[in-house]
Amino acid sequence: MRSPVMVGDRLYLRAMEAGDAELIAQLDAAETDTFMWRRRIPTSPLEHERFIAELYKQRPPHAVWLAVCLRDGDRFIGHVGVVDIDWLDRTGETASWLGPADLRGQGYGTEAKHLLLEYCFDRLHLHVLMSEVDETNTRSAAALAKQGYRPAGRLRWTDVKDGRYVDEVLFDVTRADWLVARDAWRAGRAAAAPRR
Amino acid sequence: MVEGDKERGAAWLDETFPVNATSAEAALEREHEGPWWLRSARRLAIALGEDDEMVGSARVTSHDWQRTCRLAFAMAPWRDDRDVLRAEALGLLVHWLRDESELMTVTAEIAADQPASIAAAEALGMVRNGRLREWFARPGTRVDCLLYQALNPRWEVRDA
Repeated sequence: MRSPVMVGDRLYLRAMEAGDAELIAQLDAAETDTFMWRRRIPTSPLEHERFIAELYKQRPPHAVWLAVCLRDGDRFIGHVGVVDIDWLDRTGETASWLGPADLRGQGYGTEAKHLLLEYCFDRLHLHVLMSEVDETNTRSAAALAKQGYRPAGRLRWTDVKDGRYVDEVLFDVTRADWLVARDAWRAGRAAAAPRR
Repeated sequence: MVEGDKERGAAWLDETFPVNATSAEAALEREHEGPWWLRSARRLAIALGEDDEMVGSARVTSHDWQRTCRLAFAMAPWRDDRDVLRAEALGLLVHWLRDESELMTVTAEIAADQPASIAAAEALGMVRNGRLREWFARPGTRVDCLLYQALNPRWEVRDA
């Protein structure tokens, strides 16, 4: 592992490095799903390099992004983060993105998000977090529910998809919500372990 | 916003830590970089009509400027009437953005302990479409964040 910030069973989180820019662009280019945003978006390593450099200029930062890596082989597979951090209200918005399609549906996203939430609540001592997903992104909405997020509303007509206006679904999560969800997730993993 | 507003940064700049004239000037320059039609955010001063005293600012953010925008207010913390002033500013902005500019949605965050702003939003026909629990810190307690939206009825029957 390379300078881990948070360590899980199969994954670890570390600071974003300049070399990740090329990997993010490659994963963007290989994206197959179109339901998460209005479209797939090809990106350049140049814009990711700038994004990563900007992350470390401001202290305290407005956003923290962490690289998600497999412990086995140190492979970079995506990033998770908290943005719009308010250090007085102790709030922020979480986001996550896992690139390789072959790794989806195997619980890596949930593991990464629990590590992020532990970082937010137990290291940064944030009080409450929110997340928003397009209504078409049912996979992310289901994942948020498993991570302890609760429905917080629905902003209307935020984007366009398939020829109609779509809404943005809001969620929020407190530390207490997250701990209950993490305990349930850990219990589920423990129960499934003998079969793995 | 004008250059002289740097002398009144505490009234309009929603910064975590104190701002002096130099840092307020830097914020003004940062927020006015590039041509206005390429910027995603525009800050407007909120001033008293009677004597031009600056009492806050409203930041209008939009990624399209044709269809949607979000409002964020920063009010002078020493004004006891800041909720009432914010409510009046909200009315002016919603009429400008929804009724004159014909945006499809105008979204504003309002703290649950700001009754004048809540009343103004509802009087303007805004609907509460979200509630983030315990979002704002107050001395010894926390209050929810209410998300209100002005949905332009002129767009309601149209498809994308």
